[in-house]
Amino acid sequence: MFFKSTYNELIKIIAKPRSYLGLAAITLIVGLILLAMKLDGGMYISLLTSPFEESLTFEGNLLNGNLVGFIILQMLIIHVPLLIAFVTGDLVSGEAAMGTIRMLLTKPVSRTKILLSKYLAGCIYTFFVLVWLAFMAIIMGKWLFGIGDLMVLKSDGLVVLQQEDVAWRFFFGFAIAFLSMVMIATLSLTFSCFSENSIGPIVSTMGIIILFTIIGTIEVPLFDTIRPYLFTTHMAAWRFMFDKPLLLNELWFSLTVLLAHIFVLLGIALYKFQRKDILS
Amino acid sequence: MSKKIIEVKNLKKNYGSFNAVKNVNFDVFEGNVFGFLGPNGAGKSTTIRILLSLISPSGGNVKLFGKDITTNRDFILSKIGCIVEKPDFYKYLSAEKNIELFARISGVKVDKSRIHEMLEFVGLRGREKDKLAGFSHGMKQRLGFAQTLIHDPELIILDEPTTGLDPQGIIDIRNLILQLKNERNKTVLLSSHILSEIELIADRMVIINKGETIAEGNVQDLLNAQELIVAYTVDDINKAKQILEQNEIPNFTCLNNEILLHTSQLQSAEINKLFCSNEINVFSMETKRKLEDYFLKLVNH
Amino acid sequence: MMHKSATVCRLSPKKITLVFFLFLFAKAHSQIVNGNQIIYRVYAQLQKAKDYKVDATIKVDLPFIRILPINAKIFVKQPNKFKVESKSIAIVPRQGFDQLNKILSDTNEVTVIVQVTELVNKVDAQIISLIPLQDTGDLILAKLWIDVKQNLVLKSVLTTKLNGTILTEYSYGTFANYGLPDAMIFTVDIKKFKIPKAIAADINSNATKKVDKDLKNKKGKIIITLSNYLINKGISETVFIK
Repeated sequence: MFFKSTYNELIKIIAKPRSYLGLAAITLIVGLILLAMKLDGGMYISLLTSPFEESLTFEGNLLNGNLVGFIILQMLIIHVPLLIAFVTGDLVSGEAAMGTIRMLLTKPVSRTKILLSKYLAGCIYTFFVLVWLAFMAIIMGKWLFGIGDLMVLKSDGLVVLQQEDVAWRFFFGFAIAFLSMVMIATLSLTFSCFSENSIGPIVSTMGIIILFTIIGTIEVPLFDTIRPYLFTTHMAAWRFMFDKPLLLNELWFSLTVLLAHIFVLLGIALYKFQRKDILS
Repeated sequence: MSKKIIEVKNLKKNYGSFNAVKNVNFDVFEGNVFGFLGPNGAGKSTTIRILLSLISPSGGNVKLFGKDITTNRDFILSKIGCIVEKPDFYKYLSAEKNIELFARISGVKVDKSRIHEMLEFVGLRGREKDKLAGFSHGMKQRLGFAQTLIHDPELIILDEPTTGLDPQGIIDIRNLILQLKNERNKTVLLSSHILSEIELIADRMVIINKGETIAEGNVQDLLNAQELIVAYTVDDINKAKQILEQNEIPNFTCLNNEILLHTSQLQSAEINKLFCSNEINVFSMETKRKLEDYFLKLVNH
Repeated sequence: MMHKSATVCRLSPKKITLVFFLFLFAKAHSQIVNGNQIIYRVYAQLQKAKDYKVDATIKVDLPFIRILPINAKIFVKQPNKFKVESKSIAIVPRQGFDQLNKILSDTNEVTVIVQVTELVNKVDAQIISLIPLQDTGDLILAKLWIDVKQNLVLKSVLTTKLNGTILTEYSYGTFANYGLPDAMIFTVDIKKFKIPKAIAADINSNATKKVDKDLKNKKGKIIITLSNYLINKGISETVFIK
């Protein structure tokens, strides 16, 4: 019954207009970035190389599909989480607002299975959003800008990854990004269990992301203790894949923090959903 | 004696200090149409939601099919079809898709032909592919019925099923309920404000008020034990009034050429004889608003 | 009878001073002439290769940059065309291959000062400094260690306004007679490398950053190994179009 329920949830997600809003938004934003890079990518390259330009010169295809793909991945910080939350935050509260939750929970499927099937469907949607982002960023990027080495500017220097060394990094980077976005989906689904309307969970999710990002950025001793455990600190863990050498300890810690958040939030969602009185 | 399909004992539900349900008790037997009555805010909706596991009870015991709802939820719900308040569907899906969705998780294998058959049964033939956003309230009610019956449940719980239907629709629903009971031995729990509907089709009923059961039993037995209101249409109303006063029959009112009397079934026949023996012609004798009056009397007590 | 030698030994102090300054002048003049000649000979040797193509392996050993060694092709065409072609991103010093050629091409623009000799890789090298006559150009000072016998620049320190100071060490092999090295080691001052945090990719990162306190005093190296020179085979102008 779990898979039947999941299939139902996927049908609902596919049929909802808001699901396509996310994909359309990604297409538009990525399209704009590609256009901007095509018109003025040189300026971005100058920004990357400016710390070294006094003494060094960089030759080769600097503005290439790999670099553009990497730039577009930065969308994973704010834009993509919003688009994910827009759909997953509606999974429970949207049904409560529509009244269909009443019909759904009078069926012989346990509340746990219903919630988990919604969660799984939400994760599948998240996966397809990322696949679409990957296609737009990397495939379209390579088509427009060609291939080449990837330059990544970090706070401790410049890393140049050879093009043969980049594909697997993107693959694992996207896998880690998927985990980060599943974390966002879990957060918004949890909020959805506490709400009777669609807007609340979405706004709450984005509010938390922005607040935690600010806390993570401000260099205050008080925040230093909690910063390593905020999920926003680890949402960009996919960037570890673009370092040389790989910071494996930091990567594992990030994955652990994200997984811990996922399990705790899912636990809270299940607890609430099982005990929730359906009054709508 | 038929077996009990629903057993509710000392049911309670609190929301903080507010007691939505204090002490509700009733039994529903197999093959019965059971009327569930109460004024607004009595706790009917809360009770129905507890039966369907939408709300958890604060106390008491609820059994369906001999099993506790809190520990046998999936088994019980597989045997129930229900409409709770108004039926809500996914607006962005078609009628057919909506039914398919709910049927898929109802525990039975349902194919497209069965869905179409059910839609035709409720009068929605030709509207299978239409999105719900374009459906009227009445059409949604019909679709609600289709959703309720698609998996052939043993117990059907209906909360205000005729709301928004036209007179023909109301008759159709009434006939459907009777058909379900008589031909398929289904058990129906029917909550309604249309008292005449309950009186016409229910075998047993319970009336609750302020979260408590105030009356339960066979509909006719409950009503027969109570006073009736009988309206006599006579040719000489003044003479009829005199006769009643002379015989110390006090509880009557006059309206045009009708005399309305609060009386028992036995006494109403005696009064008819009295009029006739005093040469007052009785053109008609009609029992008015039995259940409504009984209901109002109970809830305002 | 007076001896002639006695008459010679009795030169007046005035005359001794005059002779001394004449000697100094002659020496200086000969040095200038020698310095120019050395530069000219080195330049003339470099001019033998009108154009060349060479395979290069570029290894960057800079604290702020992490990059694997890459293979590239370098194209040079006299007087001033230079191109690095590589599938990968190549990082080369801004004052690269052709800077020296430019400096050596016109000694009228500079003052040539011949200094002491110094051993460079067991070879006696003449240190020659070139100071621009005008201060409007980019060059501030060029110091060259030249193997006078083979007319090869063994080491150079170029200081420019825009690009700071860069030390280059050359080693020669098969193509020494063209003045073309087998390897060049550029030593770069990294004091001025500053990473703008705003565009750094690891904002909000939890990764611990190793802070090397002595980093600012360190220098970095770029090592370019050259092989398979193809000299004077002709290179089309289109190669140098970006």
